Amino acid sequence: MIPWLTNGLRSPSPILLAYLGALLIFVAVSLYSPGFAHPAHVSTLIVIAAFTGIVAIGQTMVIVGGGIDLSVPWLLNSAAVATTALTRSSDAALIWVVPMILVSSAGIGAINGLAIALLRVPPIVMTLSMNVMLMGLLFIVTRGFPPPPTPLALQWIANGRIATIGLPVMLFVWLALAAIALVVERRTAFGRYLYAVGSNRTVARLSGVPVAGTTIAAYAISGFTAGLAGVLLTGYAKQSYLGMGDPYLFTSIAAVAIGGASILGGSGSYLGTIAGALILTLLTGLLPIFRLDAGALKVIYGAVILFAVAIASPQLRRFFRRE
Amino acid sequence: MKRSLSSLLGRTDGWGMPLVVLFIIAGLIELMRPGSFGLEQLALICASAMILVFVATGETIVVMRGGIDLSVGGTLSLASVISATRADLPGLDLLPWLALILGVGFLIGVANALIISLLKLQPFLVTLATWSIVEGIALIVQPSEGGTVPPVWFAWGYSRPFGIPISVLLLMLLMLWWAWFRRTRMANSIRAAGSNERSAYLNRVSLMGTNIAAYGISGVMAALAGFFYATQTGAGSPVVGAQYVLPAIAAVVIGGTSLAGGRGGLTGTITGAFILNLTGTVVFLLKLTSYWQIVAQGAILVLVVITGSIVEARSERSGADR
Repeated sequence: MIPWLTNGLRSPSPILLAYLGALLIFVAVSLYSPGFAHPAHVSTLIVIAAFTGIVAIGQTMVIVGGGIDLSVPWLLNSAAVATTALTRSSDAALIWVVPMILVSSAGIGAINGLAIALLRVPPIVMTLSMNVMLMGLLFIVTRGFPPPPTPLALQWIANGRIATIGLPVMLFVWLALAAIALVVERRTAFGRYLYAVGSNRTVARLSGVPVAGTTIAAYAISGFTAGLAGVLLTGYAKQSYLGMGDPYLFTSIAAVAIGGASILGGSGSYLGTIAGALILTLLTGLLPIFRLDAGALKVIYGAVILFAVAIASPQLRRFFRRE
Repeated sequence: MKRSLSSLLGRTDGWGMPLVVLFIIAGLIELMRPGSFGLEQLALICASAMILVFVATGETIVVMRGGIDLSVGGTLSLASVISATRADLPGLDLLPWLALILGVGFLIGVANALIISLLKLQPFLVTLATWSIVEGIALIVQPSEGGTVPPVWFAWGYSRPFGIPISVLLLMLLMLWWAWFRRTRMANSIRAAGSNERSAYLNRVSLMGTNIAAYGISGVMAALAGFFYATQTGAGSPVVGAQYVLPAIAAVVIGGTSLAGGRGGLTGTITGAFILNLTGTVVFLLKLTSYWQIVAQGAILVLVVITGSIVEARSERSGADR
């Protein structure tokens, strides 16, 4: 019939499997607990998934390029604290504060990229160090004082619904960003360079790909999306607090991994990451239904990641094809 | 020439530079507060550094094997929590419980190794997942910080066999173990597999066997760290391990072990762990808030790695000239 569909069914791509997994979890839980599929609850889940999804845009690009960004949590947290501290709850101040924060976040990401591309610092070391340095500085700067509440305009973007159709604003923010990410990934020279650098640096360099520039740009994008998520998260939480970025280290990497990207670089797509973010959020939604505590969620998260990467394992596929 | 170079590397394991850094920091501290390194002070420094030293020891072996172990964060927490659940034990039961705790750590390591080897998966992702699972189990066993460690264990943590503080004794034992282990066949196999899996395999090195040994040791060491943490604080914490994952990797990297695998050793790692530990003392003596310690640790890690990569690039270039 349709070639891509039949091929897809014969040897399903990790992305297709991730979406099927998300659908399966959603249907199963909705059958067990009908309130789960209620539109209000679904839109809450979408808003929560959007934050992971936005952070994971940059994480996807960095991982496709053969790196990893562990500086996400405290970069996000720095952006969030800066948002509330600098705007002092004023909507008007957002006009200069938000662009400034986004540029600085991209700049911090670029510093990661510079050290990794030009000074050959391993990505894990560079981004982990950046993460702890930002954490320490943020504690020193804030001295533990809580900043003022988030400007109302930002709260509307994160919590509001578009009245006529009743869908959350964040859904459209996420969709717009996802569309940009997919276009960048598939239709631009940068996108092609990224896959080339991720699959083989030496070959990429010899073919004339600007390896250093591509790497720096990928980390800058990751800084940008982490910063943007931080700004938006202050709208959702109506405030900023220290530690609000912590969950996103794990979820952003997990979303990419569940979405079928190889952690070695060179393969994967943001399309898969979206499914990963949805799955992780659906799992969080299980907590109240099954009265699970934080420990059980961590066990489930870990098991899901293992399952997802195991499915993508060529070793396992070869084993099943032999049967 | 190549052989003499590699044998030289094998002898120093790259711990020359970190040792110099350690002496500089120690010298600074001695200048700011004379008498900082008396026997009593050394014992205190050792006690506070040993948890990191244990975790970083296991991490060193895994990194030498070409992998990375993030699950040590979970294992440390789980071990500390298990240690704090049995305050009612009479003294004689200490050993079987210690064996059980270390056994749990070993099994976690073996599970990591089997998943990585059998499914050919990336260590980073596998151990990220098992970290989450094991920390989750620790949270189920004991949802928050607390519990009580058996009084005997608590006393053990502050005991002085032969007049030597237990932490110093443990450090000496660890170094003795390394002096023996680094020359064993297994250590060579781990290094070989870490530097090049393919050629190691062709030389009949068991890739799975070396993985099981490396991650198994890492699990046992992380469990030991959790047990030691519990004896020092008298309680268990289901989340404390997360605080040691980055410093452990940092200690390994500062100590000159290459994240690319195949190269490195425990002497450098222990030096790295003490460097990280002493930054806390420096920050304290400068009367800064303790958060500067975190910033300083991150900065030291980046600086050491950048210096290392510049030195390496230069030596590569001069090698090419010849």
